[in-house]
Order: sequence, then C-alpha cells, then structure tokens
Amino acid sequence: MFNILKEPLMMHRRGGGGGGTTTPPPTTGGGRTFSYLTAPTSLTASMNSSLTMADGASLSTWVFSNGGGFNGDRSVPGPVVEANQGQNVQVTLNIGMMSSPHTIHFHGLDVNQQNDGVPATSFEVSGSYTYNFTAPHAGTYMYHCHVDTHQHFEMGMYGTVIIRPSDGSTTRAWNNGPTFDKEYLWHAMTFDSTWHSGGGGMGGMGGMGGGADPSSLVRYRPDYFTINGRDGANAQTDSTVAISAGAGQKVLIRVQGVGYQPAVVRLGGLSFEVIASDGRPLPNPINTTSQLVCAGERYDLLLTMPSSGQYTATMDYYDIRNSGVLGTATTTITVV
Amino acid sequence: MKRRDFLKAGTAGSAFALSGLTTLVPRLAMAATVNVNLVAEGAYKTMADGVSLFTWQFRDTGGTGPGALTSGLVVQEGDSVNVTVTNNVDRSIRFSMDGVSMSTTSSVSPGSSRTYSFTAPAAGTYMYTDNRNGEIGRAMGLAGPMVVMPADGSSRLYNGGPNFDRQYTLVMSDFDDRLNSAVENGQSYNMANYEPNYYFANGLAYPDTASDSDTLITMGVGEDVAIRFVNAGAITYPMHFHGYHVNVATRNRSPETAVISKDTVQVERDECVDIILPVAQSGIFPLHTHYVPGVTANGNYPNGGLILMSAA
Repeated sequence: MFNILKEPLMMHRRGGGGGGTTTPPPTTGGGRTFSYLTAPTSLTASMNSSLTMADGASLSTWVFSNGGGFNGDRSVPGPVVEANQGQNVQVTLNIGMMSSPHTIHFHGLDVNQQNDGVPATSFEVSGSYTYNFTAPHAGTYMYHCHVDTHQHFEMGMYGTVIIRPSDGSTTRAWNNGPTFDKEYLWHAMTFDSTWHSGGGGMGGMGGMGGGADPSSLVRYRPDYFTINGRDGANAQTDSTVAISAGAGQKVLIRVQGVGYQPAVVRLGGLSFEVIASDGRPLPNPINTTSQLVCAGERYDLLLTMPSSGQYTATMDYYDIRNSGVLGTATTTITVV
Repeated sequence: MKRRDFLKAGTAGSAFALSGLTTLVPRLAMAATVNVNLVAEGAYKTMADGVSLFTWQFRDTGGTGPGALTSGLVVQEGDSVNVTVTNNVDRSIRFSMDGVSMSTTSSVSPGSSRTYSFTAPAAGTYMYTDNRNGEIGRAMGLAGPMVVMPADGSSRLYNGGPNFDRQYTLVMSDFDDRLNSAVENGQSYNMANYEPNYYFANGLAYPDTASDSDTLITMGVGEDVAIRFVNAGAITYPMHFHGYHVNVATRNRSPETAVISKDTVQVERDECVDIILPVAQSGIFPLHTHYVPGVTANGNYPNGGLILMSAA
C-alpha cells in the first residue's frame, strides 16, 4: 500500500466496456421539490455542456448526468441520488466517449479506500466503474469528481446524495428524527467565469478537455453567485430554490457548501433550527437566524413557516479570508 | 524517560521551524524549566513548481529542558518557559501567543535579542506569532504551535477532556507570492489584497506531506487520534476528512459544549481547533481543505496542504 505514497502522482485507471445499469427516468414525490434517482443508478460524465446565467452568459460546464442534470432541466448540479440507510448503494460511473477520465468521490459517506474516488489512493475511471458502499447514516451528502478537483468541481462535476431513514421515509430526517412537510436542496455555489473559458476549460469547444493548464487556474475570483445553478432573478423564482409552503408547515432545507467560498445563509430574518450537519444529527439543535456554511459542509435547516407573508432569503458569499461579502444569491420564501 | 525522546526532529526545508508531533509520553515529575532559542530570519524556500520564495521563519537553534525542540514547543502545565528570540529580519517583531501571559510585551529590534518568559498555561493548543506587523509576520512564516499537556500526565486534550491514543499537530499556512516579493524588495503590501497561491501543512506541500513522519497521519483501527489544527495562514481552512467523521473537541481551547460529528471542520484564521478521530476503518485517505485551490501549488494539482491518513 505504501507504494502509493511513494508514487503519489501515479494515475491508476479502471475502465473498459460496460454501459452501466439501466435507470428509470427521474421522478418527484414526497415533499421533494426536485427530481431524483434511486440507487442503484448510473451517472455519465461528459465535458460539453453549458449553464446559462441571468445576464445571458453561457458558462461551459463538465457534468454528471442521467437523462439530464439537477431536476432534469439544468446541466449543473448533477442529479440527486437517493438511497436508504443501511442499503448497499451502487452507482456506476460511465465516461462519455469524448471525455477524459474522472472519478466519483462520495463526500461524507466514509466509503472504503477502493471506492473513495481519489486518483492518488485508488484509481481514475475511463470506461466505467461501479462504486459500491453501504450508506451508514441518514442525511445530506455530496458527490463530486476528484480528478484535478480544483478544476473539475468548479466546472460542475458535483451533486447530492440523500440518505433516507431505513424505512425510506421522505418526510422524516433520520430514524426517529424530526418530520417535515416539504424539502428543498440548496447548493451554495460560486463560479469564476474565467475558469470556464480558455485555459483548462475546453468543454465549450467540444470536448477532449482534461489536464488543466495550471497557470490559468491560480487565483479563484468568483463572479457568479448561485443556488442550484441559478443566479440573479432566476434564483428568486426557480422552483427548486424559492420556498413556497403553507403557514405552520415544516420545511427542511438541505444546504450544501459546494462552492469554494464560505457562505452565510439567512431566511429573511426568520428563525430556524439547525438539526444536522455533515450527515449527523446535532446533539442539541441550534435555533438561529443565520448559518455559516464552509466549502464541503452540509447543514440541514428546519423552518416552521410563519403565518403569512413573503420573505427574502439570502446566501452571502464571503472571500476566503472571511472578511467581506463578494456577492449574494437571493430567493423568496412565500407563505401560501 | 523524557518527553523529548519521543518527539521527532523538525523538518528540513520547512517554511516554519515547526511540524507535527507523534507520540508523546508525558512525564509525571514536577514542573520543569524549558529554555528555547529562536532566531527570526529570512529564508528562501523552493516551491513545488520550482519557484523560490523569500520567507521568514522562526528557527530553533537548540535549547534545554523537556519540550525545547525543533518540532514545535511541547510543554506541560506549570512549566517555566523562557523563549529567547534573536531578530534577524529587517524590522522589529514581537513574540506573542493568544491565551498566554508573557513577561514582556516589548518588541525585539533588528539585530538584538529578547527573552519572553511565561508559565505554561492550561492544557491545549496554542499558536505563537509575531504580532507587531499586523498579519504580515504570520503570512511570511513567523508562526508556530505550542502544545501544553495536562499536569497530571494524562493524554487528554484538556483537563477532563477526551483521552487519545496518539496526537498530531497540523499547522496550515499559505503564501501569496506577491507579498513575499514585496517584503523581499522592501516594498509595502496591503493585506486586503492577499490571495494565496501556495499552501502548506507543517510547512510542507504534498507529496512531501506524505513522506514526513510528523505530517503523514499514521494510526491504528480502533484508536482515538487527536489532531490539533493550527491556522497560521491568512485564509479559512475547511478541512475535509475522507473516510472518517471526527468529533470537534475544542476551538481556541474552549471545549465544545456538545460533541459534533463532522467530516468537514472549519478552522478560521488565527484559530486552533482540536478534534478526535475515532479510527473506524483501515486504508489510506486524504485530509485536505475543501477550498480546493488550496490543494495546489500555483495551480498545480495535487499539491499544497494535502495530507494523507494511513490506518492499519
């Protein structure tokens, strides 16, 4: 095993053959406001997609997809993958024909080394590979590519894994945990448009992208501030972002720090309970009006809808020195 | 046996006169006197991409008593600690440590020496820095860790705190080559413009982190391993553990009121965060900032403060 340490840059590859499993198209249901895939499932990596910003700009993106990306209507984030606590989870990664190798790292699921998706300690995938692990705890997790991670993540190769309670309930946070009526998923993500053009970002030119040109990916200066791939006015109205629920209803918001910047989420002054983080219940839920979410973290927020009104929720993105706000994504919370 | 017999020597070529530590066997004897000699000086360090940067460092030139070591200061509650700082950088500096009351708060002028004395305070993780030059002293490399072990000889993070089987200290840091260049050329630099492009753990960049015995986290399945994060850099470090969830034990020596199990732990600028890692599986797993540009050296990946954990 220590040979790996002596040759840390050695590329280990798995691949060849394999079209992966057949997966039914995404569906919605329960309290969900987004579509999802049920494991076992498959994800295909490709490097020729794009994402349109509110100002009309098109960012080239590299994506995981299965009949579409997040909610079936945008390339980034990737689709939501769901499984139940205790279940053996299989996710097949297929590498598209025009794509360089990728991996899937199941962030927070504490999988074994073989399935950890890190090239230096396991292998890159060309062709296909079926990742295999047992979901240990109900909660919110991420997946993302771990090849040239600073670039591949930024290009859009990430998504969510939701582990449901053992009984598959879609209205309970974990076994014997709190219940909710409606469920939202917020990916807190920034983009630096210069990282998506020229340099390493070859996706928009059809594809054979791969190794980053290091000199073009040094200082990360985001200029788009998104939730679920939507910014500006689009984030305010997007059906997966804008919250709409009845008075007194319980809304679970799974917030994920997928971007590199620290983000502070506020629900327009409404108090909420932080009930879990990183796939584990908090021993004492925290009642607050704001929560800092750093890169790689997840926080599950439980909001009890007020009796009436409309509120403006904000996601402030801070610089990496955590000293000033670089930009904000806003959306609406409406009592219906 | 003396504690120093169990501590590893410092790392050659390190940006800092510091590194992690491995096994520590505390003594049960009475408080000791620890004399440390540090030289603050300029040093050129070669980055992973071959670029040479002008940095500052505290270099340990040898001391006496348990804990006077090149691998950072490891003392026991109640020890009398005397740190003599010789200043060979181009401006005055002041040796300082949050949470520690020093015999003097005076600066050391260039070319002179001053001794800072203190009684080792409550068990926990501390960071010493130059605090006379705003953040620049630290951002240039004038920082290091101090670990204080409990007086009762136990292997606990703090008195009454969680026990551990082994411990490591990981000092996270970064350089913005424009600052290094400005200081080298005697120019000023506005820290509001600070954007790092090189990143380190214990002054090392991956893959060197994986061949340094103080920085490669070696552990056994079933053990509880303490990791002391010291953020000597100028940015936030959200440290992500592959393979494991960890229990956050303290932040700046304040015990957490409820144990939170996390796979990603925020470590703010100037902050010391202690965690306990229950080793639940074998394998080799990365530990890195999820500010993923921090896993590069001027854009070259994987590099920077990427750490490996190896559990058997």
